[in-house]
Amino acid sequence: MTDFYQTGIITTLHKLGNPSLERLEQELRDYSQARPIALVLPALYSEFEGPAMPKIIEELAKVYYLREIVLVLDAASEKEFQRVRELMSALSVELKVIHNDGKRISEIYDTFARNKLDVGQRGKGRSAWLAYGYILAHGQSDVIALHDCDIVSYNRELLARLCYPVVNPNLDYVFCKGFYSRVTDRLHGRVTRLFFTPLIRSLAILYGNHPLLKFFDSFRYPLSGEFCMITDMARANRIPWDWGLEVGSLAEVYRNYSPRRICQVDIATTYEHKHQDLSEIDPEKGLMKMTVDICKSVFRTLASEGVVFSDGFFKSLSVTYARHAEDTIAFYEADAAINGLFFDRHEEAKAVDAFTKAIAIAAHVYQENPLGTPLIPNWSRVSSAIPGILDMVKKAVDEDNK
Amino acid sequence: MQNFFSLILEPLREIYLRFAAFSPNLLAMFIIILAGIVIARIARWIILKIFKTVNFDSWSDRIGFTSIMRKGNLWEKPSIAVASVFFWLLIIVTFMAGFSALRIQAIDNLVSQFILYIPRVFSAIIIIIVGTLVTGFISRALLISAVNRGYPFSRLLSESVRLLLIVLFLAMALEQLQVAPGIVISAFSIIFGGIVLALAISFGVGGIEAAKKIIEQKPEPKEDKKKDMEHM
Repeated sequence: MTDFYQTGIITTLHKLGNPSLERLEQELRDYSQARPIALVLPALYSEFEGPAMPKIIEELAKVYYLREIVLVLDAASEKEFQRVRELMSALSVELKVIHNDGKRISEIYDTFARNKLDVGQRGKGRSAWLAYGYILAHGQSDVIALHDCDIVSYNRELLARLCYPVVNPNLDYVFCKGFYSRVTDRLHGRVTRLFFTPLIRSLAILYGNHPLLKFFDSFRYPLSGEFCMITDMARANRIPWDWGLEVGSLAEVYRNYSPRRICQVDIATTYEHKHQDLSEIDPEKGLMKMTVDICKSVFRTLASEGVVFSDGFFKSLSVTYARHAEDTIAFYEADAAINGLFFDRHEEAKAVDAFTKAIAIAAHVYQENPLGTPLIPNWSRVSSAIPGILDMVKKAVDEDNK
Repeated sequence: MQNFFSLILEPLREIYLRFAAFSPNLLAMFIIILAGIVIARIARWIILKIFKTVNFDSWSDRIGFTSIMRKGNLWEKPSIAVASVFFWLLIIVTFMAGFSALRIQAIDNLVSQFILYIPRVFSAIIIIIVGTLVTGFISRALLISAVNRGYPFSRLLSESVRLLLIVLFLAMALEQLQVAPGIVISAFSIIFGGIVLALAISFGVGGIEAAKKIIEQKPEPKEDKKKDMEHM
């Protein structure tokens, strides 16, 4: 159980006491009559062979308030695609599996390319974006929820709590981000704990209280992959296709909606998924690649808000961040001590060193090419460029699922 | 005995002489077909190059041709699909020309009928293409206009008009292809007439009050706007 403190400029919905899941699901069933919900699952075939996806399917089989599930399958052959459809057939909800490597979907991607619409490289961002396109074309759902498919500790309560704030018409939220603590016998979530939050606070120290920095800092787990939103948002928002997906999505939400209509919700007591290597030597891999992409996304988003970056600013930022992150290590060491958790201070310090290097790399890339953000065009623009594209996406997916 | 041998050999000799007379025709047919296949392949390659240069695929995406292909569950690139149509047309023409080199009366008749039919096929294709463009333009314009006027069933109206126009152009194309022209014309007249009659009845009976209002409506006299102004 957490405290009930409200942080920042958005609403925080805590998990207080032991709220009944049955009551929550019953209310969701009622509300979803008027506001049908689509669940988007961006997945790799390898996740079906691990422990995560079988558990997720087992839990989703008990969920009755969803209108449809759209699973975007990447890195799968035709045979694997059919196998996934077979595995997912246990669900009672209308299901569509988008086969990213299939002939029809490949032709859809070719259509974007020849019309000069850069939808980026394969990954979660592009998969989620294509799923939004299908949901818009299908026109059956008013709310879209999305969560990752590598959650080993998945429980259907996560989905119910994620959807509730947006589906309940009395609350009037348009976007809801999930948060959780990532704790086993130690603290995880290094990128959020040691990189993102200290970076945002360092930027606030250097630049002052910019509303966007305040907005970012209001989120307890800004890099969590779980969120729920109204379908209109999927039509208007542009999202990055790289690791800057979460930050870029938050920036778009900030740009298009009032913070009063945005909330975050405690969705899980424990959250366990696959861990990435730090890869401090190679910035093109692991957490280094992730932090460079996130950092670039933050710089470009702030620049779009009128923040001017200079050489001196970036030099000061590296120093301020390093100092701030070192202080943060001390906070978490104490937190780990009181909770009896294992804490490797040296590993944490190594991560901070690597992240400092990542900031310098991102600053260099940003100065070389400030406009290089790989944002995927929104569906309004795509429909304008290719008038029948949504129908084509729907037809491709429907035919693949026959 | 000699007679016996000549009885056996004579038919074989006859067949050989006939084959010797026919073989130049057969050879001509094979040469025409082989040359035709090579030419068709070259033509396909040239068409693809031209389409690539003029961005045919992108143009097809924007005018809705690709969308129509996808609705028909065709997932090739538009340029490849059109080039393939030309390729197969050339192959058919090649085979017809090849067979006509055999100088067999029945095949000659078939070829001449086919050649006479080709202009009709082209007319039907043009009708379908123009029809698609016109249908898309009118239904879209109607949708925008109806939405701007606040008509509650704008999409239904637009889709109904699109359907009617598709039926009209399909009937025109089928009539051009001479596919059971009597049935096509009768079916079209019945369907189109039925729809118009249904609309007339539904408006006249279901919307009797509305119809009455429209008929009885008198034009309002134009008021002099200056009279509204009493004070500065």
